[in-house]
Amino acid sequence: MNYSSDELKILVVEDHIGDYILIEDYLTEEHVQINLTRALTFKEAKEKLKSAETYNCILLDLSLPDVDSNEELVRKMVALSNNTPIIVLTGFANKEFGVKTLSLGISDYLLKDELNAAQLAKSIYYSIERKNIDLKLSESERKYKTLFDFSPYPMWVLDKHSLDFLKVNEAAVKLYGYSTEEFLNMSVRDLWVDELKEEIQHTWKENYHGKFNTTVKHLKKNGSIIHVEILSNPIDFDGREARVTQITDITSQLQAEQALKSSEKRFKALVQDASDLVMIFDFEGNMSYVSPSSNQMIGILDSEMLQKNFFYYIHEDDVQTVREHLLMLHDLKRIQIPSYRIKTSTGKWRYVETIITNLFEEEYVNGIVANCRDITDFIKQEKKLISSLKRYDTVAKATSDTITDFDILNDKIFYNEGMQSVFGYTKEQINNTSAWWNDKIHPEDRFRVKATSKEIKISKSKNIQIEYRFRCADGSYKYILDRSYLVTDIDGNPVRIIGAMQDITDIQNYIQTIEDHNSRLKDIAWTQSHVVRAPLARIMGIINLLQKFPDISEQDQLLEHIISSAIELDDIIRNITIKTENVSSIEK
Amino acid sequence: MLEVLIIDDDDIVTLVQGKLLQNCNVCKNPLKFKRAVDALEYLYLASPDNDYLLLLDINMPLMNGWQFLEEIEKMTIKEQVFVYMVTSSIDFNDKEKAKKYSRIVNFIEKPITVKNCEQLKEHQLFKSHFE
Repeated sequence: MNYSSDELKILVVEDHIGDYILIEDYLTEEHVQINLTRALTFKEAKEKLKSAETYNCILLDLSLPDVDSNEELVRKMVALSNNTPIIVLTGFANKEFGVKTLSLGISDYLLKDELNAAQLAKSIYYSIERKNIDLKLSESERKYKTLFDFSPYPMWVLDKHSLDFLKVNEAAVKLYGYSTEEFLNMSVRDLWVDELKEEIQHTWKENYHGKFNTTVKHLKKNGSIIHVEILSNPIDFDGREARVTQITDITSQLQAEQALKSSEKRFKALVQDASDLVMIFDFEGNMSYVSPSSNQMIGILDSEMLQKNFFYYIHEDDVQTVREHLLMLHDLKRIQIPSYRIKTSTGKWRYVETIITNLFEEEYVNGIVANCRDITDFIKQEKKLISSLKRYDTVAKATSDTITDFDILNDKIFYNEGMQSVFGYTKEQINNTSAWWNDKIHPEDRFRVKATSKEIKISKSKNIQIEYRFRCADGSYKYILDRSYLVTDIDGNPVRIIGAMQDITDIQNYIQTIEDHNSRLKDIAWTQSHVVRAPLARIMGIINLLQKFPDISEQDQLLEHIISSAIELDDIIRNITIKTENVSSIEK
Repeated sequence: MLEVLIIDDDDIVTLVQGKLLQNCNVCKNPLKFKRAVDALEYLYLASPDNDYLLLLDINMPLMNGWQFLEEIEKMTIKEQVFVYMVTSSIDFNDKEKAKKYSRIVNFIEKPITVKNCEQLKEHQLFKSHFE
């Protein structure tokens, strides 16, 4: 029976020559190439084992002259053996001890009395093979231990039932901030964030006996939260039911993903959902991209729009300008096309303002990028404003009023030509401060004007109307009706006062004349009515008397009085006529 | 007894008013004063037992009707004095002014008529004198 054709090197520690020869015989019988080395004493065996020589197996007789205790001998030999399998040869009396040697690291024991060639050979081969397997196993265990301890991934071993930490690696200590000792007094539950506790518990229960991987959030010692992916497997850990878990910190990965997502969203919001229309086309106007906002801006779907040429959508009067600007991109990177019109789905036109950029060099663009902004409303506003300004100019010219624009915050008053044409000031004389204007107000009116403007600022009424006298360049005063409008900011604070100073000097003079005239006439009428009524009343009194009492005495005298009173009345009326004529002539 | 005083600078007026009062049986011999001061003089000496009805013109030279009334107010017999203001034309100011004088019973625009005399006789204040 041949187990192997290789040469077997065996150290035989045997003081008894007879036994040694017997062993040699047995071995030779079973194996072709045997290389035996004999040690007579423990001391000799020790020297042989310390030499460079290596053996496949050691046969050890327990009854050596230089060692008393069998156990001590076995221990020492195992220590020296360098993992070489040791087979103990013992007498029948030592059978019990033989069994014990197995626990001390001996591969096998054989009773000398029952020894035969086949048994010895078998024991030797088995021992060698088992030792090889043991070696491999322990090597593998060592490797795995190293893998665990020095893995760049945080790992730990948990009690399968309690989830207490049994072992953690360096990476876990580094990531979580707990020391190994702290970990070993904790349970993995201590790492779970409150919000996910139930969920993790559920996952764990469902996979109680199996392996699972999941993504959870863990609390670090410093209280910060990390996102981790865990992979957990059940294992036997030194005879204990356990789980080994590998952790992958995906926090930064998630953050990166989040950043990418928001960046994408931003892009989408900017380009796709923005009101601006974005297009990509070449110099001939062939389009390769139209943003979905086309639907919003001109009512045409982007897909539909792509089917036609860019110039198709441009107003024929504007095509030339747009084309010219487009061609400028041969030399320029970016240019703005002045406002032009593009066609909408309903055939109406929208004004757009476009910035075009040459991005032919960009691999993913390879064209001209056009950003169109709808400025129709703006154009309409502008047109309105222009016509309004024109109207304003016309009105300002048509009126004799002096237009004032008082910028309250900067204390600046601007005037139209009126300040020159109505009041006679030269441009050089006009100063734009409010003090200059105030100074021109008649001293008797100044206080009233000031009080009124103060009141307006407080009451916040918008329309102001006040009369005052304003000094001209030649020192004379003109009567002014000032109608102003107060412009306020959002908070209602006065910002500007736009006003019209109307020269009412002529009107004022005319009114004054009429009033004087009236008062004179009133005076005449009043006095004359008294004067007139005196003789009239006399006449009426006498007549009343004569009528009621026809037999009254002194009738002649009474009649005489009627005549004299009538003459007096006549004179008075003539006088009035003359006086009234005088009033009229004064006026003329 | 009710004494009637006509105070007016116009002779024709006093004449006509006097005749009217006589014929209407208001007073047999009304006293006529061309100047207000003369009437004042008379009233100073007048008996406090009588009532005095004054037909007083407003516009008079020297002392006008209003000044005359001021003087009356200083008299002891002022309570016996009743005044009919008589003017050729009534204006608003005069009416307003009249409110301040409690002596004024009425305001009459010239001329005084028969009707005025009859109303006078019916007046609450004078009724007793004509019964």
